[in-house]
Amino acid sequence: MIYLDYAATTPIDEAVFDAMLPYLKPDGLHGNPASTHGPGFKARAAVETARQQVAALIGAEASEIIWTSGATESNNLAIKGALEFRGFPKNGKPVHIVTSKTEHKCVLDTCRQLETLGARVSYLKPDGQGRMTPEAVLAAITPDTVLVSLMWVNNEIGTVNDIEQLAPRLRERGVMLHVDAAQAAGKLAIDLKTVAVDLLSLSAHKLYGPKGVGALYVRRKPRARLSPQMHGGGHEQGMRSGTLATHQVVGMGAACALAAARFDADVAHWRGLRDALWARLQTIPGVLRNGPTDGDRAAPHLLNLSFPGVEGESLRASLGGIAVSSGSACSSATAEPSYVLRALGRDDETANASLRFSFGRRTTAAEIEQVADTVIAQVAWLRELSPLPRNG
Amino acid sequence: MTETDDGNAFGYAPEIWRLFRNAPNAGAFPDGTPGVVSAEAGTPAARSVLRLALRFDGARVIDGRFQAYGCPASIAVGAWIAGWASGRHVDDLRLLKAAHLREALEIPEDRAHCALLGEDALRAVLSRYQEHQA
Repeated sequence: MIYLDYAATTPIDEAVFDAMLPYLKPDGLHGNPASTHGPGFKARAAVETARQQVAALIGAEASEIIWTSGATESNNLAIKGALEFRGFPKNGKPVHIVTSKTEHKCVLDTCRQLETLGARVSYLKPDGQGRMTPEAVLAAITPDTVLVSLMWVNNEIGTVNDIEQLAPRLRERGVMLHVDAAQAAGKLAIDLKTVAVDLLSLSAHKLYGPKGVGALYVRRKPRARLSPQMHGGGHEQGMRSGTLATHQVVGMGAACALAAARFDADVAHWRGLRDALWARLQTIPGVLRNGPTDGDRAAPHLLNLSFPGVEGESLRASLGGIAVSSGSACSSATAEPSYVLRALGRDDETANASLRFSFGRRTTAAEIEQVADTVIAQVAWLRELSPLPRNG
Repeated sequence: MTETDDGNAFGYAPEIWRLFRNAPNAGAFPDGTPGVVSAEAGTPAARSVLRLALRFDGARVIDGRFQAYGCPASIAVGAWIAGWASGRHVDDLRLLKAAHLREALEIPEDRAHCALLGEDALRAVLSRYQEHQA
C-alpha cells in the first residue's frame, strides 16, 4: 500500500512518539497539570513547554495558545465563542459572518448552526482557483459584520488564501479574523507577529502529531475575546475547561518543534514530489488540475486532479493499492460529490472522478513513479472500457 | 472491510471484483462482423452506460462483448452477461432477470440498479434482434 493521503492525517513521527511516551507511563509523569504538587508541576511544565513550541511555529506568544481536542473544536470555539462574547443571540442585535463555500465542513456547519439562532452568514464563492481574494471578502462586509472566517490553505485543492493582505484591512474595519490553519501549519511560513489574525485553529495530526489534540490561537494584543463553549474548572484562561491530556499536548508541541526545524526541507521535499507527479500525470489526455498551479499560491503538499471520461468509483476501486482521497460520492458519508470541486464549477461527474494526492516526509520518488504508472494505466483502461465518446 | 492482497480495498463481492479487474469479453466486435446485434442501456441516476454486443448464428449466440461506463458492479454485470450469453439460445436469454444477476454477482440492495442495467441492455439487444428477424 502506498499512502498518499497525508492531508487527511499523518502518522505520529518517531520523535513525537518518544516525547509522548513518558507521559503515558505510571512513573511520576502522570500528574494532573492543574494539581499543585510535584507530579502536577512536572506535567504543568511539560504542557507549558509544548505551548511554547506551538507558539513558536506560528510566531505567537505561549499565552496566546489554548489547547483543544482538534481543529474542529478550535473552529467551533472561535466562531461561536466570538459571537457569544458579543452578546449573540441574547442581545438581539444583528450579526453577520463572512466565510466561503469551500471552508471545511466544521466551519460551514458551525455557521449554519449560528444561522438557526439568527446570525446572517455570507458564504462567498471562490474564484476558479478556489481563492477568496481580499477584495471579494471586503466587498461582503456590512456594518453588522463581526467576524470573517477563512481557511489559510484549502484541504482539498491546496489553494492558499492571501491572509497577509486581508488581515490588516479587516483590522482597519474592526472586523475579527478567524483562520483555519489546519492545512497551513508546517506547510507555509506563518508569523502572527506580522499578520493581524485574531484567532487561528491548529490540529496536531496534520503535522505528525497525535489525533485528538489541537489548539486555538487567541490574540492578546489587541485582545480577541471569546465566550467558552466548554464549561468547568476554568482551565485555559477560562476559555476551555477540562483536564489537559498531557501526553497529547506534549505530542503536539514536539510535532510543532519538529515542523519548525524541518520546515525548509519538508516544503522542498513535498513540492518536488507534487511537481514530479503532476509532470507525469499531465500527460493523461484531458486531465484537469483543481486549484492553483503557480508555486507560491499552491500548498506544497497536495495535488488534486480530475480525470474526465472515467467513472469515479471505478477509478478509486482500480487504485486499491494506493491510499488517496477521492472526490467520489461513494467515498464520503454524505453521498455527495465534493462541494469544494462543485464550488469551482466542476460538474458532479467530473468531481466524482477526482483524486487528491498528498505527500509526506516518508513519500519517496520511487513511490511517485509507481503511482503515476498505475494511475496512467488505470485511467487508460477505464476509458478503453467505456462506450462514451473519448475525452481529451 | 479488510484489504485483500488482490487490491480489493473496498470489499467488493469476489465475483464483482474478479469480473471488474479482468473484464473478460470487454470491447466491441470489428465493424462489419456478421451476425452482431448491439444495444445500449443507461441509468440516468447513477450515470452508468452499458453497451452489449452479441454475435448470433441463427438463434444462438456464439460470442459476446461489452463496454461499460459505471461503477465496478456495472462493469462486472456487462462482463458476466457477455460471457453467460455465449452458446445460449435466444429463448434462454429472455429468461435472464435482474434478480439472477444480483444472485450470481452478489450485488447488494443499494446497487440493484446495476443489475437492472444488465437486464435492460440484454432486453434492448433482444428487441433489436427481433427487429432484424422481422
